Amino acid sequence: MIIRPIVPDLGERRPERGRRPGERIVRIVRPKSFRLTGKGRYEAKDSAYESESGLGHAFQRVRRVLIGRALRSEAEALERVSKKVGLALFAPDNITSSAYATEEIMRVLVLAGIAALNLTEPITVAIIAVLAIVIVAEIRVIHAYPQGGGSYQVASENLGMIPGLVAAAALLIDYTLTIAVSTAAGVAALSSALPAVHEHRVLFAIGLIALVTLANLRGLRESGLVFAGPTYLYLGSYFALIGYGVFLMLSGGLPSYVPPPQWLGSYERNAEALTVLVVLRAFSSGAVALTGVEAIGNSVPAFKKPEPRNASLTLVVMGVCFAIIFGGLSFIGGALDIVPDPNEAETVNSQITRTLVGVGPFYYVVQGITALLLLFAANTSFSGFPRLASILARDRFVPRQFAFRGDRLAFSTGIIAVAVLASLILAAFGGSVTRLIPLYTIGVFVAFTLSQTGLVRRWWRLRNPHWRLSIGLNAFGAAVTAVVAVIVAVTKFEFGAWMVLIAMPLLVALFYGINRHYRAVEDELVADPDELRVEPLQPIVVVPVSRLDRAALRALSFASGLSRDVRALHIDDDEASAKAFQERWTKIVPEIKLDVVTSPYRALLPPLQSYLDDIDRDDTRRPITVVLAEFVPRHWWEYALHNQTALRIKLALFFRPNTVVIDVPYHVPPEERAP
Amino acid sequence: MKPKRILLPLAGAAVDADVVRLAALIGKPNKAQIEALHVIEVQWNRPLDADLTEDEVRAERLLEAAEEVGRSVGITLQTEYVAARTAWSAIVHEAEQRNVDLVIIGMPYRRRMGQVTVGRTVQNVFLKAPCEVIALRDRAVPA
Repeated sequence: MIIRPIVPDLGERRPERGRRPGERIVRIVRPKSFRLTGKGRYEAKDSAYESESGLGHAFQRVRRVLIGRALRSEAEALERVSKKVGLALFAPDNITSSAYATEEIMRVLVLAGIAALNLTEPITVAIIAVLAIVIVAEIRVIHAYPQGGGSYQVASENLGMIPGLVAAAALLIDYTLTIAVSTAAGVAALSSALPAVHEHRVLFAIGLIALVTLANLRGLRESGLVFAGPTYLYLGSYFALIGYGVFLMLSGGLPSYVPPPQWLGSYERNAEALTVLVVLRAFSSGAVALTGVEAIGNSVPAFKKPEPRNASLTLVVMGVCFAIIFGGLSFIGGALDIVPDPNEAETVNSQITRTLVGVGPFYYVVQGITALLLLFAANTSFSGFPRLASILARDRFVPRQFAFRGDRLAFSTGIIAVAVLASLILAAFGGSVTRLIPLYTIGVFVAFTLSQTGLVRRWWRLRNPHWRLSIGLNAFGAAVTAVVAVIVAVTKFEFGAWMVLIAMPLLVALFYGINRHYRAVEDELVADPDELRVEPLQPIVVVPVSRLDRAALRALSFASGLSRDVRALHIDDDEASAKAFQERWTKIVPEIKLDVVTSPYRALLPPLQSYLDDIDRDDTRRPITVVLAEFVPRHWWEYALHNQTALRIKLALFFRPNTVVIDVPYHVPPEERAP
Repeated sequence: MKPKRILLPLAGAAVDADVVRLAALIGKPNKAQIEALHVIEVQWNRPLDADLTEDEVRAERLLEAAEEVGRSVGITLQTEYVAARTAWSAIVHEAEQRNVDLVIIGMPYRRRMGQVTVGRTVQNVFLKAPCEVIALRDRAVPA
């Protein structure tokens, strides 16, 4: 005997006779796909996620090959990193700016003639000075927010919602552009060594973005070992290169560099006057050097204890490494009188390396490791953008889908969104680093300015020990970054910065609008205390029936269990067949009321909707429930031949108020399947 | 001994993993079907179909742990749990119902008054099972 409770539980209890007379055993049949964890609580097992259909199973296998096995939520453990590993993980975004910062300064200065390139070094020094100020200010952020405070959090907490949203918009734009610029720069480094790549640089770049996207969807954890090797090889290679260059400079053995005459001619022919504006533009181009500084501040909890101290030291080391490489390349480039390639086929770094050491194994190592590390820099944004988007989704400023973690614990929606956006931007700008740079730095400096200003407010409010010093440092940091932001916006406005200046407020408006919508919906849905009860509703059930077959009978049986008020509706375009249907109905299902409507214009939906409007008018408190019979064919490719009417009805009724639509599928029983 | 069907009564003791490993050792060459059983003993002052959620959650955990051990040694363990008044009676009943050839039962190491003791369950299964029985005693605990 099997005991079947009125409200069935998952699983079953089967009493059985035991060995001895009067003895009983209760066999507990466990649910196949759920594990009991408490009274009325279950956990879905792996088998609950397995598809039962052949097509679904095949799709899951393809997904598993591409993205990997699903991970359980508790698999996301926070691994603490040392300073050495932290530098490798979080510094590439900033350090790799040295791959193109010198070149971008030169590209602007050379517009005023070859002689203007002499200003490269002083501009480099100015940028390094700004970097030092930003790093000192960022250390205050690290100590103020040891739990990892991004500019969005700092600005929101201390300045309010709108400044927080501006910071968020600036950061999201910055993350997207980091991927576009880093990938374009990586391809440029590759094409310097392999010229054939240059012609197809956009395709290459999009292909690389796709690869990194897949890696991130697989939940590629920034494994210390994976990143450490290339990062330290990059640092080692450039330190060696710069050390060798300095040695040659000091010993008077610097090789001579001769640019192609057509380059010189091209620049001299089109030279404009060297004005303050040109110098400021060159400065703002080189200011890309300051991108990536916030990566360490956002990742403080990832460091070993004491986290703020270790993160701060790593930030300082990062800044020093970058300053050595950036400064070294600028000075050596100046000493060699390097001229940037007007066709962008070879990078300035490649020219410097080639001139110093020739085209040998070391040259290819430098170019290769530069390209690889630029990809790693792009990868940092693949975790930054989705993480920030998930926080915004939690705060209801972006759609909730951005908070969803996929099979591999990665924020899949954010990863795919940033990949698509970066690819589109990269394609639109022809894969050119120089054309992308004007858009790049504004977001960073706006975010910096807001977070520094937020900190000033915080110190003023909290009055911690040394609050005056903290305010001074952060106020100075905010002022410097604000000035740089204005310089970048003004000097790069016509070259593309206007797009970012328009995009930021539009994004803020979008975030605000989404939040307002979610809050309005919340207000609509949250029940008042006196509404917190369940009152049974007796729906009016309507079953559209075109044919009295097994599917229809199943739907009618189901409908009869829902309510006492069930009516069938038959819509026919022929009076005679409608009458015949009615007569057959009276013989077979007399207990259910049938309404027959003849539709002279042969349409189904308008008469159905009008019928529902009419019965709804009688009692608007009772929901109308439309029960639809749906035949489920044996094979998926047969779906297109069935249920189109049911689908049309569902779509038509979806937005109808006070209406519930229920599908009652009819599956062909196994024994009736064709051999 | 070439058993085709082996029953492993598991009590959630430390020796359970060794019981599964021993079953794999004996059963794999014969492609035997290996089934693990846990018996929830229900006290006489409670009805047999009482709410046993806590015991069931424990049973789920120990059977899953056994399945994991089984996977690590290359066998697929069928697992089930039942509620009964006495464990030994349910085990013997299952052994009879399922027509098993061998029961491997774990014996926790216990000493009473200086002597190693055999519990009531192991004793009765040993005496009354309709098939061969191997009792695997847990390692001795240092005094």
